[in-house]
Amino acid sequence: MYIHNLNPSIKAITVILSVLLLTMVFDPITPFLFLVWIWILTIFVAKVNIKKYLLYFSPFFIFAAGMFWTNIAFANEPINPTEVVSLFGNTIPIEDIQTALSLSHRILTFASLSLLFLLTTNVVHFILSLMQQCKLPPKLAYGILAGYRFLPMIKDELVLIKSAHRVRGINRAKTLKENVHQYKRFIVPLLASSIRKAERTAIAMESKGFTGSRERTFYRQFTVTTKDWLFMIMMLTVLVTLITLAWQIGYFRWYTGEI
Amino acid sequence: MSQTAVIKVDHLTLSFEDYPEKPVLDDINFELKAEENLLILGPSGCGKSTLTHCLNGLYPRELDGELTGDVFIKTKSIHEYSHGEVSHSVGVVFQDPETQFCMFTVEDEIAFGLENKGILPSEMENIIDSVLDLINMTAYKTRKITTLSGGQKQKLALACILAMEPDILVLDEPTANLDPVASLEFIKTIHQLQQQKNFSLIIIEHQLDGWISLIDRCLMLNNKGQVFYNGNLRDGVNVHRHTLEQQGIWIPTPTRIALEIEKQLDHTFDNLPLTVDELASYPLPNNIFLAHINRRSTQLALKAEELIWTKKSTTIINEIDINLYEGEFITILGANGSGKSSLSKLIAGIEKPNKGAIHLYEKSLNEWKERDLRTKIGYVFQNPEHQFITDSVYDEVAFSLRVRGLHEEDINHQVTTILQQCQLTGFEESHPYTLSQGQKRRLSVATMIVDNQSILILDEPTFGQDANSTKQLLSLLKERNETGTTIVMITHDMELVQQYADRVVVMEDGKIALDTSPKQLWEVPSEQLKKWQLELPIQVKLEQRKQKDVSYVYS
Amino acid sequence: MNNWRLKEVIVMAALSVVFGVVYLAFLPLGGILVGFMGPIGYEPIFGIWFIVSIIAAYIIRKPGAAFISETIAATIEVMLGNALGPIIILVGMIQGIGAEAVFAATKWKNYALWVLMLAGMGSAVTSFIWGMFQGGYIAFAPSYILAMFVIRLISGALIAGWLGKAISDALAKTGVLSSFALGKEYKKGKKAA
Repeated sequence: MYIHNLNPSIKAITVILSVLLLTMVFDPITPFLFLVWIWILTIFVAKVNIKKYLLYFSPFFIFAAGMFWTNIAFANEPINPTEVVSLFGNTIPIEDIQTALSLSHRILTFASLSLLFLLTTNVVHFILSLMQQCKLPPKLAYGILAGYRFLPMIKDELVLIKSAHRVRGINRAKTLKENVHQYKRFIVPLLASSIRKAERTAIAMESKGFTGSRERTFYRQFTVTTKDWLFMIMMLTVLVTLITLAWQIGYFRWYTGEI
Repeated sequence: MSQTAVIKVDHLTLSFEDYPEKPVLDDINFELKAEENLLILGPSGCGKSTLTHCLNGLYPRELDGELTGDVFIKTKSIHEYSHGEVSHSVGVVFQDPETQFCMFTVEDEIAFGLENKGILPSEMENIIDSVLDLINMTAYKTRKITTLSGGQKQKLALACILAMEPDILVLDEPTANLDPVASLEFIKTIHQLQQQKNFSLIIIEHQLDGWISLIDRCLMLNNKGQVFYNGNLRDGVNVHRHTLEQQGIWIPTPTRIALEIEKQLDHTFDNLPLTVDELASYPLPNNIFLAHINRRSTQLALKAEELIWTKKSTTIINEIDINLYEGEFITILGANGSGKSSLSKLIAGIEKPNKGAIHLYEKSLNEWKERDLRTKIGYVFQNPEHQFITDSVYDEVAFSLRVRGLHEEDINHQVTTILQQCQLTGFEESHPYTLSQGQKRRLSVATMIVDNQSILILDEPTFGQDANSTKQLLSLLKERNETGTTIVMITHDMELVQQYADRVVVMEDGKIALDTSPKQLWEVPSEQLKKWQLELPIQVKLEQRKQKDVSYVYS
Repeated sequence: MNNWRLKEVIVMAALSVVFGVVYLAFLPLGGILVGFMGPIGYEPIFGIWFIVSIIAAYIIRKPGAAFISETIAATIEVMLGNALGPIIILVGMIQGIGAEAVFAATKWKNYALWVLMLAGMGSAVTSFIWGMFQGGYIAFAPSYILAMFVIRLISGALIAGWLGKAISDALAKTGVLSSFALGKEYKKGKKAA
């Protein structure tokens, strides 16, 4: 439960920093090793429900696969065109395969990092913490929370609008033009009712004395303690160590082509 | 002894920038004394909400328009209050239970106001516990707000305000979006609070039954935003009985009945009754109420057998058989979640049952083409806006005729007729969204009768409507009904059932608990009715009371 | 933030939720498209990510509307469970800057269709630069990169700019925007007519 109890802002910043660092890596092994590390954290430390995890994670395999073959099919001119391997009857430069693998692994690693964050963080606490630790203005923080509250209502309304329109005798759209038109027909009532809700909510909030001023007290107080900094240091150390190791062994690459 | 006024409204005139020549509030003057309960009555669009916004600190800060005159809250002008400061003195509970919150759990929402006020975090817990205790919702402290019922949400909104300890509580139609049971519960809570707390109360309401014993004084506004009466409620109703009716202002149901009696019997009440008890105390002649004539045709229109509908492994509709006959006026009743809407959607072919068969004119619903089916069964959703698909009232009604490929001339003729029936003539070019609540409702009905549908199903069509629009809508439905259209209406309003229904279907846990005539429904033991969350209509209560009195006298 | 009304902030958040929901409901195939076609499969609909900032800027007409609304939209995306996680907030800011820059160039005075389409393209540009690095597009063949970029520009102009304006105008007709800049302009136009 250690990861669940971390300060949400620090957790988010750690994820963002890791992603930024990984963006510079173009070899396949470094992101893969880091991916394994995140999986270990997710399964053994955060103890996330594996079934749920796989459900969320599976689309990224498709995504990564798409990335892989696009990279091979549309790769830039390799620097060493002589080193090739044979794959599905085609000769492909090793370099292209490495880049392709690297970018696919990168997608999987990004996804694992994000899921580690999403599955261990209460999003409301995340916003409250952004306000308390990262100086997010209260007007934005509570405005976002108020808007986010509409989510279930909007979902229900979309279903209602769909059946209400069916009763009016609207048929399934066939052409692109009909599709765009239909999209507009759904979205305008949804937006209109959300805007009215937003106005009413704003009035209710202000009538409870909300001014957007930073001078307010907090029922739920978020703090940053040693354990939060330790988490950030640990994550970044692992990543930097992996990159350094890769560098020393000699398989590390960052972007070496031309922009 | 003269009490000090906690609110003093002084020649308040307010207009919005689009219509500077037409003020929404026109020269309003009144005072609210400490611990006084004031009722503000007026038709929809009389500026009641605008007035609320002047009292809670929103205006003049957020006003796109002009405000003259002044409002003093605890002797300080609203112009002098700093942003957010008014909330320490005035708290408001609004109409819509869904849009008064910005947090996700009950405790966080109550804390929100306390945080705004700068209360120390160490003190919050105690305050939260004590206000939850006041509204009897201690067990809900950590619950998510989305899991609460509408009535509970309104009580939570009240708790949030109470936590901030205002001197003045404004209730802006707090029960308008609640069903009758939840409304009564809310009013009961206010009654209890009155005995424990010292605050002044401003009640802005449409539906008055239940509030009357609380009210010390009453302010009546007309549709021009002017005060035409300020004083005792009883005298106001007596003196202005005709104005109230004309303006379409909700008056207590017993009072309305008394006014009906006046018209029918050429009798004048010197003192109009406000409650059932008062009305019952008058020596009324027998059989003053026109008995509703039940017409039951034997022409079968729709036959549904052994319907079962489950959603996410919960059974919503459990083995229902129902027949609809031509020209019936049916009301579907029952507690929230008993399956009323679901049943109506199955019958209308909007949802498909898991099991069972529905035949419309001896042809299975599955065999009907969607387009043909829609020319036979119309369905009016609870929120009219969900059904609007065009940019003008005319196009809205013409839509299905155009889909059918009729000539523009014929369409024009038909649309004009329908709009006239629905009292929407003159609004042809308006955007449907810009209509009033009542007009929107009638437009949504118009789109569902334009093909001469033989069955019209309506999901709580009078919900949130004022007295006038309810009356107009029902007379429209009655008219259709008399030309042979079967009307199926889901409702909580027992007065309507009593006045219009030929047949009542009571739902309970996905089953039909009772399928009978209204007359027989009134004979059902009161405990059973309570279980179904049904109340007797006032006229029936009155009859029963009279009978009881009679038997009392003779025993 | 002081010249922002609370209701404007909530409206922006609510718009983001609506587009988030509709996006999920209408385009569950997005991921699969990418699986079969590679990153370019995503490009034609990429403009949907910018639509909130265009609509918000067009409706509210204040400096910063495009940037702030896109940031809000991105935060809401994180809350809705977008699997890209907190980094989305950064991406949203980058996208918002692109659109905001275009509005800034007109000194926040011009909201004609071409400006909105340019703003959509502005977001396309900044988001693409980011994608070059984060998504690793930089490793692709130049012709492929160019194709992706052109499609994204068109999508930004059409889906965010053109459709965004069409939706906002339809919304203005309903009267719900009467207290926002666009609604006020619409009312004036109607009164004059």
